[in-house]
Amino acid sequence: MVSTLEDRVRPPAAAGGPLSTQEFFINMGPQHPSTHGVLRLVLKLDGETVREVIPVLGYIHRGIEKIGEHQTYRQFVHLSDRLDYLSALMNNWAVSLTVEKAAKIELNDRIQVIRTIMAELQRIQSHQLWWGVLGMDLGAFTPFLYGFRDREVLTDVFEETMGARLTMNYIQPGGLMQDIHPNFVERVKSFLKYFKPKLAEYEELLGGNVILQERLRKVGRLEAKTAVSMGATGPVLRASGVAHDLRKKEPYGVYSKVAFDVPVGTMGDCWDRYWVRIEEMRQSMRIVEQLIDNIPAGKHLLVKPAIVIKVPQGLYYGQVETARGILGIFVVADGTGYPYRIHLRTPNFNNLWSITAIAPGLRVADLVAILSSLDIVVPDIDR
Amino acid sequence: MVNLQTSWEVRTLSQRASEALAGGQLGLTTGYLFAGLAGLAVFLAAMALVLVYAERKIAAHFQCRLGPMRVGWHGILQSVADSLKLLLKEDIVPTDADRFLHVLAPFMSLLAAILVLVMLPMSPALQVADVNIGVLYVTAVSGLGALGILLGGWSSNNKWSLLGAMRAGAQIISYEVSATLSLLVVVLFSGTLQLSKIVQSQADGWWIWRAPGVGLLAFAIYLIASVAEINRTPFDISEGESELTAGFHTEYSGMRFAFFFLAEFINMFVVSALAATLFLGGWMPFHIGGLATFNAAMDLIPPGAWFAAKSAFLIFVIMWFRWTFPRLRIDQLMRLEWKILLPIGFVNLFLAAMAVLFGFYFFPVQ
Amino acid sequence: MNKMSQEDILTAPLAETAPSSSPAVGMTGPLAAPRPERRGFWWNILSGLRSLLKGMGVTFRYFSRPSTVVTQQYPENRATLKLFDRSRTLLGMIHDENGFHKCTACHFCEKACPNASITVAERPKPATGKPELDYFTWRMDSCTYCNACVIVCPFSVLTMSGTFENSVFDSRLLIYNLTRYAGPTSQVLMKIADPEERKRMIETRGVFSGVPLLRKGGRK
Repeated sequence: MVSTLEDRVRPPAAAGGPLSTQEFFINMGPQHPSTHGVLRLVLKLDGETVREVIPVLGYIHRGIEKIGEHQTYRQFVHLSDRLDYLSALMNNWAVSLTVEKAAKIELNDRIQVIRTIMAELQRIQSHQLWWGVLGMDLGAFTPFLYGFRDREVLTDVFEETMGARLTMNYIQPGGLMQDIHPNFVERVKSFLKYFKPKLAEYEELLGGNVILQERLRKVGRLEAKTAVSMGATGPVLRASGVAHDLRKKEPYGVYSKVAFDVPVGTMGDCWDRYWVRIEEMRQSMRIVEQLIDNIPAGKHLLVKPAIVIKVPQGLYYGQVETARGILGIFVVADGTGYPYRIHLRTPNFNNLWSITAIAPGLRVADLVAILSSLDIVVPDIDR
Repeated sequence: MVNLQTSWEVRTLSQRASEALAGGQLGLTTGYLFAGLAGLAVFLAAMALVLVYAERKIAAHFQCRLGPMRVGWHGILQSVADSLKLLLKEDIVPTDADRFLHVLAPFMSLLAAILVLVMLPMSPALQVADVNIGVLYVTAVSGLGALGILLGGWSSNNKWSLLGAMRAGAQIISYEVSATLSLLVVVLFSGTLQLSKIVQSQADGWWIWRAPGVGLLAFAIYLIASVAEINRTPFDISEGESELTAGFHTEYSGMRFAFFFLAEFINMFVVSALAATLFLGGWMPFHIGGLATFNAAMDLIPPGAWFAAKSAFLIFVIMWFRWTFPRLRIDQLMRLEWKILLPIGFVNLFLAAMAVLFGFYFFPVQ
Repeated sequence: MNKMSQEDILTAPLAETAPSSSPAVGMTGPLAAPRPERRGFWWNILSGLRSLLKGMGVTFRYFSRPSTVVTQQYPENRATLKLFDRSRTLLGMIHDENGFHKCTACHFCEKACPNASITVAERPKPATGKPELDYFTWRMDSCTYCNACVIVCPFSVLTMSGTFENSVFDSRLLIYNLTRYAGPTSQVLMKIADPEERKRMIETRGVFSGVPLLRKGGRK
């Protein structure tokens, strides 16, 4: 019996005959270089072709939601750092936003502007790391180090003001932990000046590279409908052509007062996800540029740190757009200083699951590209 | 016109040995043979150490780093320390692995590299053996390396390794075709398969520019195909550490891993040296036919230095590729070979044949 | 928050208008992704080669300029390496030039600590009658450096510093006692004129003397 090309494309059970192949299972992870942590994907492979992807979670489950029940609202902020550690400030903001909404704490403009600047800087920082890791996953090691090199500049900016580099615990319910450092404005400006040509270089080194485009274009198409039904958010959703950005739809902070565009993809393939993130870096810089010169005067913390914030009985939900999508905090409050229950709607959990819809039929190498373009952070999936 | 060809008399080690044998000097014969063997072994070790150090330093500077800095001045002894570490590491063979093949595979890989090394004309006086089918031999033997990779991947009893080995097998066999086609261009022009004669035929100029257009194109194709043949980025899909963890050598540790590693670096040197020999004149200094004074000035630099410089340059270019490009996917890799390189290679070969037929190249042989 | 169905999300445009109170900067809309173009066989090959050469140009630019190297040779550059003033790597208690602190053992930091890394122990029989600090035990091994204790302190006794080389081989050495003495605050002590009398009121405490206390019962 002659094996035709069609036989090879069809699942082997349909092909039959002496040249039919056998599917096998393979564990990608929990120790695998491109699962970015301890994520385990069980792959059903037919040769190099992926037939099915089953994500297996739980390898870095820390029970943050449960621990949160024994922490005051203020203390829970420092746990939110440890969800998606690359968007620590935005996670802090999500918790603070929810608590402020519940406890009816009004903020001044200074706090809002600084929060917005910090969140956008963190978005740039997160995307820098993603860009480097994407390069490394696709076999180019150099972008990884360039990404980290440029990220280091921003990390220093953060460290000078907040004292920490990764888990900042900076944005508090009722304000900010510390006021910005006197050098902050200057440093941010010099960063913007430094990073703009670097971003152009990113495009030269990786974005314009024909090999990268071949690896990403038309690979891992996520249809808009699938993306929405999977609950994907953030750049992943926007790359699929759905212009959904909380910063525009439900503006918080001072996003309603600044001009910026929301990059939206057309096909929903890896290349669109790549482009959306690169463009988001540009837009974030644009936002920071508009705000950095006019930070209003005012106090940086409106609720005394020693006061335990009490949230009136009720159900509260607050959400922000982190670098990876929508982080929602759902709080069941019983009127005390401690939440009765906290649930986290983390962006990576849903983003990861879209891989089950888009990966089948592609190659192992494509799977790596898709994982990379979804930009997952495993501790955020497992909590 | 000064005929320079007479001034480059090639005397290989094997030639000297057989002459000594004919003269009845048995001691000298064994001496030469032993020198060849020991020389090769020392050369292999030294080359690997130097290349590993060079790769790490070059990669570091491409990436705004410093690279090894601690062991010795600017980390110059780093590779010595690393090889010591590898030597002392436990040698693990997985429980369900095919033990014999698992042990054999790294040697196969290294063997192929060494067998090619024997033929390389490094300077008129430094060549171990010189056969009249040199190019054929080199292309045939270098394909043997794929066998080592296939064996290693198969015997490890690891699915990732097997995937890597299968990828490597498909890739190496495909790219051999293009590499050979581009080597044939030079064979056509020089009219010989003997490597030392090919070098001597470039006394009036290197084939990369003497053969108008086709030489350059053949060189480019050979460079791409040979990078694919030695499994380096952007064609390192058989290792693909971010996809297959480490591909065919996932299950190897200690010295066996080091052998694969060694083979990779020796292979890199071999393809660079071969490209230098065939397209860039090997140990032949940079000559332009007819310019006797210029050529004489170029001859002041010893041929060994020319060979080393050319090979080093090509090795640098291959490293440069590795530290810039992302990796291709297996089907793209195959498409590049069968749909782009191979047709261009065939057309190029045809054009080269035409050029040879009509003497349409610089300084045609009378 | 409005309830939106899937269809609404798919079709709804982004909010185009800014609130009337906002400055003149207008909001702009979405930006559609451009697709890289592909043409004929030779065009693809040549443009591809060009893009590869461009990338090689970027890496070579860095290769040829050693000044762009960002590596810090860490143990060698200890003398010049300085973290920022606000860096949070080690908790400390501020003692003034006489060696006295201002801690009144109010337990605020202990309550603010999210992971019970701080244990404040009062002196059983304070000389002044008011609460006096006996041990201030800080467990570095469970601390997350969230800075909550520092900002919560009403007398700014605690401080974070940028001393980061704190590794030890025995995890018991990560349990510090931050106070240098057991006794009243500097304010109370400085009211006493006689230095000998002051000395009698306090009791010296070592850095690792907080450990037995933890063993006894820990947090009250």
